[in-house]
Amino acid sequence: MALLYGLLWRLLLALLRIKRALMSWLRGRLRNRGGSLWERMVAALLLPAALPTDSQKKLEQSSVSGSRADTGSRRAQWLADGKALEKLPVHVGLMVAEEEPSFTDIANLVVWCMAVGVSYVSVYDHHGIFQKNNSRLQEEIMRQQQNLLGLDGSKYNVEVLSNGGDEHQHCVVSCRPTVKVLSPEDGKHSIVQAARKLCHAVENKERSSRDINVSMLDVMLRESKNIPDPELVVKFGPVNSTLGFLPWHIRLTEFVSVPSHRNVLYEDLYGALQRYGVCQQRLGQ
Amino acid sequence: MSWIREGELNLLEKIASNVLKAGPMPKHVAFIMDGNRRFARKKNMERQEGHMQGFNKLAETLRWCKQLSIPEVTVYAFSIENFKRTKEEVDGLLDLARQKFERLLEERENLEKHGVCIRVLGDLNMLPLDLQQLIAKAVLTTRTNNKCFLNVCFAYTSRYEITNAVREMAWGVEQGLIKASDVSEALLSECLYSNNSPNPDLLIRTSGEVRLSDFLLWQTSHSCLVFQSVLWPEYTFWNLCEAILQYQLNHKSIQKARELHREEQALQQLEADRACVADLLQHQGNGKPADAKRRQEALHLCTVSREARVQDFLQALKQKRNHFFSDLYGEAVSA
Repeated sequence: MALLYGLLWRLLLALLRIKRALMSWLRGRLRNRGGSLWERMVAALLLPAALPTDSQKKLEQSSVSGSRADTGSRRAQWLADGKALEKLPVHVGLMVAEEEPSFTDIANLVVWCMAVGVSYVSVYDHHGIFQKNNSRLQEEIMRQQQNLLGLDGSKYNVEVLSNGGDEHQHCVVSCRPTVKVLSPEDGKHSIVQAARKLCHAVENKERSSRDINVSMLDVMLRESKNIPDPELVVKFGPVNSTLGFLPWHIRLTEFVSVPSHRNVLYEDLYGALQRYGVCQQRLGQ
Repeated sequence: MSWIREGELNLLEKIASNVLKAGPMPKHVAFIMDGNRRFARKKNMERQEGHMQGFNKLAETLRWCKQLSIPEVTVYAFSIENFKRTKEEVDGLLDLARQKFERLLEERENLEKHGVCIRVLGDLNMLPLDLQQLIAKAVLTTRTNNKCFLNVCFAYTSRYEITNAVREMAWGVEQGLIKASDVSEALLSECLYSNNSPNPDLLIRTSGEVRLSDFLLWQTSHSCLVFQSVLWPEYTFWNLCEAILQYQLNHKSIQKARELHREEQALQQLEADRACVADLLQHQGNGKPADAKRRQEALHLCTVSREARVQDFLQALKQKRNHFFSDLYGEAVSA
């Protein structure tokens, strides 16, 4: 009997995985070529929200890089998109839960976020790949800024911050918007470091254990730049977990999932921002 | 209504349960039971009635978990943020809690029969004293049961919990039980309110909201998160099965990520121990660089003495916490 249940379970999981792969393939097909009639019918059954509407098609066209004249109108369009939202997050986290992240796609996402009006963007993967290749990411962001926005002197210059353990590498170009590259070290490890600092202070009789409260820890975990908590984290990939992303800072963060960051389109990001725009935070009340 | 809902799964549910159990099952599931008030609005009931239905659903869900062989459940019953609600609603919720904990004490024998151990996690001194005493009684009464565990987060937020853990470690330093250099991720985990439980494998939030609302932020860093749009009082066995399936689909990738994290943790501990060794050798040294053998011995010494200190500290912490409950219980009995 146990054998039968085992087989049924394997069958069930296989079916779910096939469905997921099918959905992902269909999504790709519909985007690229509109798809045949049969594909569109199947998609309508499996993914009712995936068929591109007219407004989405317009967004899709706008995200493709083109001539200099286009970049100006695209920038204006994206800024208008940001203003059209009910609320825009000040800080967006981009969490890549997939193996072998694509630097170009992440750079695109960062540039789109900034073009739409987001002030702070955090990039995270639980292997710490982005942090280890910080300069490569920075170059990619510069390149995509050129492609998509037409690098415009000091207007959209980016400050890329990264903590490599105790070393702080600041690549300052100009003030905002700011991109932060995070790894698991910035999560629990940072909290432990702050705890150790406080305990050292107690050991040296500079402080009593009774002084320690939530706001003290919060200030220590916020560093010097005073970056607010991410209001929205867009998670790319099939894994349903935060995978160690900034545990302290995500207490009120909205999580929106996008199937993959590879060949991601502006409309995927905008869809996530729209979802954020309509959510209601009651803050306990 | 009772904490224990008797009843059996029907045939279809039994089959589904057996199919699921053929795969990896979560050993600890956490619930954010959201949607009671929206349910009440939908059914034109009073808010309080919505919360009552929510409690009934909790009892039913516990039964399903037991039948699915999930031994531990943690629920988010009342957040510190919820104190911001109207006085009427807060009083209503605290009254509901009083009722339920009193009921729990009445059902003590039944709970013992089913082996249910109840723990309450949170900043309990924020609650009225009589409720604290009831909770202490409930916790102490069911303490020796060990077949299944229900952790109720009451007057809880994760940030308060983490801060409290840091404060406890600082207290340990003040008492001379541990050094500041002993502070580590593992030690912080041992100082949380949830230190008697493994981290949740699966976190489920109902009513369609997609945030964690300051719940178990530390413990769920590598858990499977499932957000379901059903309102909590309408939760069904099939919703639970759906969530468990998600867990099973994500199981391998999350295990890999957990392993990676564990390796990082071990490396960090080794680094910390090595720093301790460098310190030790500097103090003991006579200017000559130490050879590998001495370094190895020093490392062993540092590790062993750190572990001994930590054990003593955790013992003292456990006693402090037990005293908190038994003092309350003593007050309640003598009152």
